[in-house]
Amino acid sequence: MMTGLNVIPIETDVLIIGGGLSGCMAAINAAGNNGLRVALAEKSDTRASGKAGTGVDHFWSFIPPVHEKMGYTIDDMLKEHNLSFPGADPAFLRDDLYLKIASTMYDRVLDMEKWGINFRYEDSKVPGKFRIVYQYHSVPSSFNFDGVSLKPKLTAEAKSREVNIFNRVQMTGLIRTDGQISGAVGIGTRTADIYLFKAKAIVLCAGGLTRIHRNASGLDFNTFIPPTCTGDGSSMAFRAGLPVINKEALGGGTNRSLRVGANYNPNYGEPGNTTQPAARIIDWKGNVIIPRTHFYDWEKLGKVKWTLKDRQRWLKVTTSGGAGGGAGWHARLAELHNKGEGPFYLDLSDATDYEAQYIEWSIKNEGRGTQFMRYFKDEEGFDLRTTRQEYAGFGTPEGFFTGLWVDKDFETEIRNLFAAGDEVGGFMYSDAPGAVAGGWYAGGMAAKRAAAQKESLPLDEGIMQARKKLCSAIMNRERGFFWKEVEIYIQNLMDFYCGDIRSEGMLKRGLERLEYARAAPIKADNPHELARSLEVKSIMDNAEMVLRASLERKESRPAPFGFKRADYPEQNDKEWSCYLGIKMEDGEFKFTKYRGNG
Amino acid sequence: MSYRHIYFDEMVCTGCNLCVEVCPCDVLAPNPEKGKPPIVMYPEECYIDGACITHCLKKGAIEIVTPFPMRGGFQRIKD
Repeated sequence: MMTGLNVIPIETDVLIIGGGLSGCMAAINAAGNNGLRVALAEKSDTRASGKAGTGVDHFWSFIPPVHEKMGYTIDDMLKEHNLSFPGADPAFLRDDLYLKIASTMYDRVLDMEKWGINFRYEDSKVPGKFRIVYQYHSVPSSFNFDGVSLKPKLTAEAKSREVNIFNRVQMTGLIRTDGQISGAVGIGTRTADIYLFKAKAIVLCAGGLTRIHRNASGLDFNTFIPPTCTGDGSSMAFRAGLPVINKEALGGGTNRSLRVGANYNPNYGEPGNTTQPAARIIDWKGNVIIPRTHFYDWEKLGKVKWTLKDRQRWLKVTTSGGAGGGAGWHARLAELHNKGEGPFYLDLSDATDYEAQYIEWSIKNEGRGTQFMRYFKDEEGFDLRTTRQEYAGFGTPEGFFTGLWVDKDFETEIRNLFAAGDEVGGFMYSDAPGAVAGGWYAGGMAAKRAAAQKESLPLDEGIMQARKKLCSAIMNRERGFFWKEVEIYIQNLMDFYCGDIRSEGMLKRGLERLEYARAAPIKADNPHELARSLEVKSIMDNAEMVLRASLERKESRPAPFGFKRADYPEQNDKEWSCYLGIKMEDGEFKFTKYRGNG
Repeated sequence: MSYRHIYFDEMVCTGCNLCVEVCPCDVLAPNPEKGKPPIVMYPEECYIDGACITHCLKKGAIEIVTPFPMRGGFQRIKD
């Protein structure tokens, strides 16, 4: 019989849930304010957790020293970003959030530089000696930098500001008192102790969702985003009565099975990002599907006289991941694949020596890129220029677009509960800057609220008792199913009843099957298995939200939203030009329509 | 029998357990024998991210061999 479940009470001013990029930035900023007590709970270790765990190589931003010389304004940047959605439908845009990120990311870069991250290069011809490349916009707008050690450096900075980091604590419940956030419950992943946090303000930074569909390679934890991202934040928020939006959206809408060929899942950015400028996408006959780009000619830096239409045209034919062009190519590849025109490859055969070594440097700084290069070069003896990588784009069951509805200050509908990074819904292509700049901003807001509040609110122990009861049942039942068995069941269910094309009958049956899974007695033999069991519970909550939101949206909508109903094949802007939020109220599921810009 | 892709070199590893501390998926556990390499408890839960290698203070103490399903998706260009 397992021991554990000792309650450890912790009182703090600001609690950050999740220690990835957004959580660390939130904690660092909050701890720089008014000598507040800041605690951060992370289910792994902040030195290597989250999507940027082993590095991130690019940040998009409005970059004053460069963009001012181009005559490129934040408004230009915003307009291009908004081209992501056909017709720039204002319902799907969040200018308020976008402008906050775009206009503050450069300051965050300068902060990170102070904390020991290098952004400047002797061979650079860019003002400020930065390395700046194309990504989402018609002008270079992304820093490439030595981001491989970003997480250890952020951890060090947080520690130097006396952030109290609780690693190996998996948060599992939010507590509210009188309509305001008052605390949260977590479980020790190595001890099964219960951490009961009392906090005046909380920033939810637990990231995205994966492991809800079967992984293409068959290696369950070889996911695109870290397998530890199990939508815990959405699950907690949902159980606390908050609306989660866009659960039904698939984004690029790529058929997951296409990724079997690509399989490695290196977790570095798409062709327009990490492997630019030299990567083109070709088919098996060598036809170019998406052409390569080129480094910007910095010798010619000067005013750029393009109209918005010029920019849109340029974006459509490049591998840029976002606005206007990139949003389309995932779906295009999927379409071509479904017509039998695959396989497709990343081809870097005409990269120059400089480009090849630049790209290798870039890959090594991004995500699991270091391991990818180790495999590619050291294990296989491949070369970037003479070996093609099978490529299939990717869909977004990982939920880059789903999350919590927040206001202009990243606050949720529970007072003093903020969200940042991948937790935030409806902010397409926010990526690392959304986490870095958004996390910083949300941390600052949380600190302000905490500083203005003299006393902590009393905690209702109900949530803690409920989670304790759940954990005790999982730990102490005589027999039960291994967490993995139940996870496989959910993945089967989601793949079959909630695939790329959905319909009423299938979705309803999926919900019935999910109900059966909810009743499954899971047994854990140790704290590690208990933590995994709780992750499966989070995945179940997320599956419920996806199924129900899919049932509710009675239309189809192309990428970048990405949603197909066989029984409602037409797009219906009149009814469905909106974000759909699902929430639980008095035991019932309620839906709310939100419109971003209006 | 389980996945075998994480190898420790006992001659190089000092058993400091830094890899155990940083692993995002908590797949490693300290060896009950002090100074010996960690035990790979949950190889099937490895994310193949290499945080263990990156943070390890002794080059060559940990080696990852990429699991088979992740291999093979490449094509050498024939001249």
